[in-house]
Amino acid sequence: MKVLQALSTSTGSKILVALTGLAMVGFLVGHLAGNLLALFGPDIYNEYSHALISNPLLVPVEIGLVAILVMHMGTAVRMVLRARQARPTRYAVKKWAGGASRKSVASTSMIVTGVLILLFLISHLWTFKYGAWYTDPTTGYRDLYTLLVEVFRSPFNVVFYVICMLLVGMHLRHGISSAFQSLGLMPRSWTARILRAGAALALILGIGFALIPIYVYFVL
Amino acid sequence: MRIHLRIWRQNGPTDQGRFENHTVESVSPDMSFLEMLDTLNETLIRQGQEPVAFDSDCREGICGTCGFLVDGQPHGPDPCTTVCQLHMRRFKDGDHLTLEPWRAKAFPVLRDLVVDRSAFDRIIQAGGYTSVNTGGAPDGNAVPIAKQTAEAAFDSAQCIGCGACVAACKNASAVLFTSAKVTHMALLPQGQVERHTRVLNMVARMDLEGFGPCSNEGECEAVCPKGISLANIATLNREWWKATLLK
Repeated sequence: MKVLQALSTSTGSKILVALTGLAMVGFLVGHLAGNLLALFGPDIYNEYSHALISNPLLVPVEIGLVAILVMHMGTAVRMVLRARQARPTRYAVKKWAGGASRKSVASTSMIVTGVLILLFLISHLWTFKYGAWYTDPTTGYRDLYTLLVEVFRSPFNVVFYVICMLLVGMHLRHGISSAFQSLGLMPRSWTARILRAGAALALILGIGFALIPIYVYFVL
Repeated sequence: MRIHLRIWRQNGPTDQGRFENHTVESVSPDMSFLEMLDTLNETLIRQGQEPVAFDSDCREGICGTCGFLVDGQPHGPDPCTTVCQLHMRRFKDGDHLTLEPWRAKAFPVLRDLVVDRSAFDRIIQAGGYTSVNTGGAPDGNAVPIAKQTAEAAFDSAQCIGCGACVAACKNASAVLFTSAKVTHMALLPQGQVERHTRVLNMVARMDLEGFGPCSNEGECEAVCPKGISLANIATLNREWWKATLLK
């Protein structure tokens, strides 16, 4: 009860969003590493996919990820509503401050990119996790590689995925370094490095994920 | 210089308010922004109209009393400058400027450009003090504090409580103000006794007053007339979770 009370304060909410956000960044790093196996051909990719879906820990991990996602979104939406209440009258003229400000297109559109990423996530799971089930005749494993190639033969899907990965990159551009700030892990001497590292990781994740549909469409 | 002003006018807290246009003639570039408004007010009084209400006291940039938005920027376009230290040489002849009060639920408009900032006083009352009896003035260096620590504490203690951070933040958050006091006290020996209760009580009070959550955008630091750094907010966050775990 005390924990819930603490996490409902403005500072507690920021910390909760930061922790859940960083947990999802950790998931994305693992997901990207796994996905990049697609560049090495169907055998290794399908074997990796089989190892994942046959793992008994998959369901508890998935439940955990859904719980993390729900906490992240729920807290973020609550904070947005709180912020709206905090300024009931808007300014007639308001300019960006510049200088030391870290305000960017990414930071001002977090809730928008967040909602769009959620919609993408639903579509992504529908396409792959719950999509067509092909079986590899030699191993008997699910042939996810064939589905991957089939989906990204469509230029529409490639453009859609690349745009969505741009949104993920944008969300993380502000999100990663912001999480360190919210957790208080941003000492003055490390600020510039953390900001740069957060932006670099966001770029790597965005480009890394976008690389797969582009590779499948143009190379395979 | 001739300056065209679009000023927020509001007769009282319950009045809806509206913008009013005024032109100030013969503005000297050496005038401060508030002196320019004084000139306008003298004209308005001579014409039998109500002068524009705005807060000011020291007019030296150290008391934190003045403050409103000049063309969408708290305290105007100059960095690390209060509006009383903003000078008309910063503007051009014929400029059109919009003047608006701080906008936040926790800072209700009292009249024209004057807002009620007593919410800040209540945040300080919640923990921005030390109740340890420190006696008379101590001898110099009787309590050894490293030079770097003393400098860092002073950087945070420079906050003048003007409210520009709240005005600039898209969420109308008061975390920069609160964190400056929390950091200042956490760095010094006198602040250690109430270190944990202070941060918890001040954050709780800040929420109760209706300020929004931190956006981590740093608009607050960019407009702060004293250059209070976002590093203070990181310190507050760290102090808060440590205090929560140890409670």
